Amino acid sequence: MQFALSVAVDATLITLVLALAAFGLAVIYGLIGVINMGHGAMLTLGAYFTWWSVSAGLPFFLAVAVAAIGVGLIGLAFEHLVIRHFYERPFETLLLTWAFFLIATEMIKIVFGSDFRNVASPISGAWVVGPLNLPAYRALVCMLTLVLMAGTAFVLFKTNIGIKIRALVQNREVASLLGLNIARTYKLVFFAGSAVAGLAGGLIAPMLSIDPYIGNVFLVRSFFVVIVGGVGQLLSGTLIGSFLIGGTETIFALFSSQVIAQAAVFFVAIVLLRFRPQGMMRGR
Amino acid sequence: MTASKREFGRASRRAVLQGMAMAGASVAAPALITRALAQDGPIRIGVISPLTGAWTVYGKAHSAGFELAVDEINEAGGVLGRELEIVIGDSKTEPRIVVEQANRLIRQENVDFLAGTFSSAERNAAGPVVRSGNKVLLYPTFYEGQEKEYAPGVCNPNIFMFGPEPTQQVWPHLEYMLSNFGKKFFMIGSDYAWPRVTNAVTKQKLQELGGEVVGEVYIPFNTPQYESVLRDIRQSGADVIFHSLTGSDTVNFRQQFAAAGMKKDFVLWTVDDEEVVTSGLGPDVSANDFVSFDYFMSIDHPNNAAFLERFRTKFGDDALMNTVGVAMYNAAHMAALAITKAGEVSTDALRQNLKGMSFDRAPQGPVRMREIDNQLVLPSYLMKVREGWTGVGDMFEEVQSFQSVEPLDARCDLPL
Repeated sequence: MQFALSVAVDATLITLVLALAAFGLAVIYGLIGVINMGHGAMLTLGAYFTWWSVSAGLPFFLAVAVAAIGVGLIGLAFEHLVIRHFYERPFETLLLTWAFFLIATEMIKIVFGSDFRNVASPISGAWVVGPLNLPAYRALVCMLTLVLMAGTAFVLFKTNIGIKIRALVQNREVASLLGLNIARTYKLVFFAGSAVAGLAGGLIAPMLSIDPYIGNVFLVRSFFVVIVGGVGQLLSGTLIGSFLIGGTETIFALFSSQVIAQAAVFFVAIVLLRFRPQGMMRGR
Repeated sequence: MTASKREFGRASRRAVLQGMAMAGASVAAPALITRALAQDGPIRIGVISPLTGAWTVYGKAHSAGFELAVDEINEAGGVLGRELEIVIGDSKTEPRIVVEQANRLIRQENVDFLAGTFSSAERNAAGPVVRSGNKVLLYPTFYEGQEKEYAPGVCNPNIFMFGPEPTQQVWPHLEYMLSNFGKKFFMIGSDYAWPRVTNAVTKQKLQELGGEVVGEVYIPFNTPQYESVLRDIRQSGADVIFHSLTGSDTVNFRQQFAAAGMKKDFVLWTVDDEEVVTSGLGPDVSANDFVSFDYFMSIDHPNNAAFLERFRTKFGDDALMNTVGVAMYNAAHMAALAITKAGEVSTDALRQNLKGMSFDRAPQGPVRMREIDNQLVLPSYLMKVREGWTGVGDMFEEVQSFQSVEPLDARCDLPL
């Protein structure tokens, strides 16, 4: 029983951290259909901005806020200068965002260097709850992920801007005929998605090595999360997708090696997509 | 002139290919000598370093060590009156690129010999190229030792090993770790040859000393989350975690290991994390962990003090050095000594004279190249990471050390 409980806790932690890492991608891909190959670089930038701000003396959570806004602004500039001219051409945006990844990674090396950096965990140690051992900082990050998702749900379903975004996702032409400023809404979503990626990079920074490739470890997994969960199913899709990717890994690792567990995840994802090509939360 | 030289080189290669191996070799050898005598330009050395890609963090010390030695040699007048010249090739941390670079350096840049490559996978990729191109490769990294099944990446008469292998890096310190912290080991490593073979060799001695392995996991590269591994470790009842993860995975794992509050319950002994990685971990995460290598920036040896002074003058006070950079430094000096001793620049002369060569000014203390298996005899240090360290100067505290540690003979057809 205690064992099952600790496996459940592990699976939850993995799921929510993965959901956080994938959320920025889900926002941009799901709402405006741009396959953001630069997502990994945005996570990396978030981690570096956080490290840089902490080194400059800011308290950790303020530093994460700086990272989120900083990466959001970079995303905004990228959208304004490049992406907005290519919304009709998904394949070109794929290449352009990949170019963004390459350029951003090299810029990081030039500006911040290629050494390993680290951000000390703002809260260390573990919370012992009964028989369970919860790493304090990870647990906190998981709670913030839930808050972030609840906040997004609120914006999407309870505010004017949310209604506009949903209208746009449902039918772009009709929405624009009704007088919706599409360009501005896209810009806003791209900013939000980038900022969420920056936020995720900052929050993940104390758990990982900060190097120019830190975002990559999450990139492939993030794509699987979004596709398995169902493109456009921002909240439920991201959570289900993360659970299927992260949870499968945890469970397979119980009775096989890590190598097999990580391969099994992708096998499961492919099988799922064979039978539910629209993702788990679509096509009912 | 160059064109005719190329023609000649091609003709002699073709002769070898045609199966006239003996005849080909006897024709080619004098040709190489004539070529060397005919050249008055610099002695060219191809250096293959991971300047970009996943192991960029190690690339700087790697190439810096060699550059520093070459500067010192040139300032002292070069070798046989000729300057040394480095032609650098970026491996991009990919074995495939190593093959391209090694071929380019040998066939287009006409280098006299090669130094570098970083991981075992990179060295194994270079093995067949240096064999067919008949060039010497000076390999700097701590590695798994030479097993015949990995030839020609190892057990290759053209490759010389300047870093420690497990019977030098791990075996000398097993007894101390066992008697002080307990007999149960949990092994965690990245999923490739170096960690797997290192663990196999370590187990051999561990069992001899009455220890046991209570868990063994291998992690694919770029794994971000370690919950299930941490749970396995917690339930294994281990005393010592024997750690051979590499690159960013080592930092990811150890950050999460520390964050889970497990540092107080286990002793961690790493055979991968030198100055560069430990700097990346920070003092909280790395405090009180054990590390073993042949070299540390903080070892107390007069050679090291002099070496670091020259290193900092050239690369700045914040630059990091490590075991691999020092091995590159020793490799350059020992190759220069071998060429001086031979009086000529050729693959055969370099190979013959590197064997048995000693180098007393090595930063870690005197080293010597074994004749039988091209493996360096070097010191072995066990260090403990200081609590609250502030930089590489006070990062490690010496626990024990041995000078001139002989390895077990390589598992090859000896002598190489």
